[in-house]
Amino acid sequence: MSKSTNQESISNHKIEKYRHLYVIIEHFEGQVIPVSLEMLGEARRLMDEFNSKYNSTEKVVAVVLGNNVRKLCDDLVTYGADSVIYADHEELKYPRNDIDTKVIVQIANDAKIMKIISPEYENTFVKPRYMFFAADNIGRHLSSTVLAELDSGLASDINKLVISDLDIRHEHKTKGQSIRYEKILEMYRPDFSGFLWTTILCLDNKNPEILREYHPQGCSIIPGAFRPIEKDNLRKGTIVEYSPNIDQELKIKILNRKVIKRTIDYETCKIVVSFGRGIKDNPEQNIKLIEEFAHLLGAEIGITLPLSKKPYQVSQNLDSKYMIADRVIGTSGSKITPTLYVAVGLSGAVQHVAGMKESEMVISINTDENSPIIDESDIFIKGRMEEVVPILIEQIKKQMSSISVRSS
Amino acid sequence: MLNVGVIIKLEPDFSEGNVSYNSDGTLNRAETKNILGPHSAIACNAAFYCKVKYEARISIGTMGPPIAESALKQAQVLTDAEELNLYSDRLFAGADTLATAEVLKNGIGKMFGENKIDIVFSGHRASDGETGQTGPQTAWKLGYTFLGNVIGFDIDLGRNVVIAKRLISLQGMDIIIEEIESSLPVFITIDPSYRSIFNTVSQRLAANKFRKEGTKRSEEYRQFLRVFDSKKLDLDPKRVGLPGSPTIVYRVEKIPRAKTNRKTEVIDPSNPNTLSPLIAKIIQIVRGE
Repeated sequence: MSKSTNQESISNHKIEKYRHLYVIIEHFEGQVIPVSLEMLGEARRLMDEFNSKYNSTEKVVAVVLGNNVRKLCDDLVTYGADSVIYADHEELKYPRNDIDTKVIVQIANDAKIMKIISPEYENTFVKPRYMFFAADNIGRHLSSTVLAELDSGLASDINKLVISDLDIRHEHKTKGQSIRYEKILEMYRPDFSGFLWTTILCLDNKNPEILREYHPQGCSIIPGAFRPIEKDNLRKGTIVEYSPNIDQELKIKILNRKVIKRTIDYETCKIVVSFGRGIKDNPEQNIKLIEEFAHLLGAEIGITLPLSKKPYQVSQNLDSKYMIADRVIGTSGSKITPTLYVAVGLSGAVQHVAGMKESEMVISINTDENSPIIDESDIFIKGRMEEVVPILIEQIKKQMSSISVRSS
Repeated sequence: MLNVGVIIKLEPDFSEGNVSYNSDGTLNRAETKNILGPHSAIACNAAFYCKVKYEARISIGTMGPPIAESALKQAQVLTDAEELNLYSDRLFAGADTLATAEVLKNGIGKMFGENKIDIVFSGHRASDGETGQTGPQTAWKLGYTFLGNVIGFDIDLGRNVVIAKRLISLQGMDIIIEEIESSLPVFITIDPSYRSIFNTVSQRLAANKFRKEGTKRSEEYRQFLRVFDSKKLDLDPKRVGLPGSPTIVYRVEKIPRAKTNRKTEVIDPSNPNTLSPLIAKIIQIVRGE
């Protein structure tokens, strides 16, 4: 035994029951969804640091549910998983909250798997230490029900994670005493405005009156927030098949499943024009103006998060076309990399900037030179959008026609 | 008789003129009005559809301070609810989603004199908290089948099942519309794109009648209101509010501005000389040059 492990076992008499970081993988039509690889990447970085700091051998464990999913598992290892636990069953072909929750909980509570993936903790393992889910239509609900069943805490929509030891003094958790908590996952969550970061912790109650252990520490992670690690075909990992217990009557039946092509495709877009609360003086007219401008450029239209909350009364047509979550650019929407990004009347909250900062060229139109968007702009046109956009439209039309006259 | 429950929330009003932001871009909570949240309103519309189409009884519940009554009143206008329930206790303050779900579970259990609720609706997520966790966690604690992202539904009363359409949109993937069937009871969170449609004349007449009745009832909403504290809900104080929350808010900070490598040129749009090269550049990009 190395010196520091020895010290750890002397200073910390309690036996650790919670080990490893479990990442719940999502896939679609035989393809792993990008956020799953992003989660694995962040998990890898966190656990490498964790293991060297705490001199331990805790793992990144990917969990996959589905039908014919064995073929996905090797890839998960190359993207950072130490172990992959997969459950293969006809009934798991498509995501269903009820059955998926039960199977994931079975896996999380199964200490016998440790014999294969980490024999050193076989006799002490009770539950995972940390658990990651995707903050999307599937993972958001799955994380909620899994953590409800495991009776532990969950933070949603996370875009930064740190593991640290913290001295906590809390009225309820510690009964006002300062107590050291080890290996705590600091979960950073941008708020709805995009200007505030809230750090959420999931902590055991050490107050003797309400004594209770809360593990795993769970979170759902915003797609696009983290980068996958470089694929390494030489990475080795253990792949374990899990036979789930699916004897209960299944309550949800899938009758029909239709796949619809996405109508808004930012990935193939060269130019994106986005607008924010700067349209407020005349929302209806200003959106139409932006429509005209975008049409002229052959651009797709994006919005900021506050606009998806429908703060303005506009005609039904514009409302259902533009004021929708699918158009949000930023950490809670799409992350895009167009050749040209035009930011019209938007201030540039951090969570918005995260979605557009990789654009090749950025032009912003804004009245306020103190808006954070100025830092992300190559060109900052100072003025009201009502005045600037028509000038741009006019000038572009003029130059376009003169160029085409010359070339003809 | 179909018994329908709706879980709603009083939230900041993000509409222009009502919302107030601080100079640093954060929400000014003191100056911002509170209303029935927009996602809660959509859940109310789904319940109202059940009333018109299946003659359902509706019970609305919310956890919050006494002022949350106003959200119940607004919800009654939308649903013509027979019953309004406020789950209110100082002990509930500061609850995270798990501790909130604990209260809502017992609250739903008390709806309609403990008659079993067949369907519970809740919003997709709150505009301020935005976790989207409370609905599914409440469903799980109740032992109800959870259906999320539902964009449309109908009920087969003879077979005691709901047939629902749900929308699944995953990062970078095509959109899936799934038709699913589940036996009652179910807990449904309604997708923002849900619209209730009344196809027949008799449905439209019934809808009008119930709307009028709902407005009238809401004028005297207190007659329909029941207030529950932790005792009345048979709750263990250790499982609610701050003591019952696994998570805590440890820190709130301003998100630092990201570092940037761009050199910004500020342009005065009224000067055609500065604008001209920019226009040329834009046209170049448009033409893919």
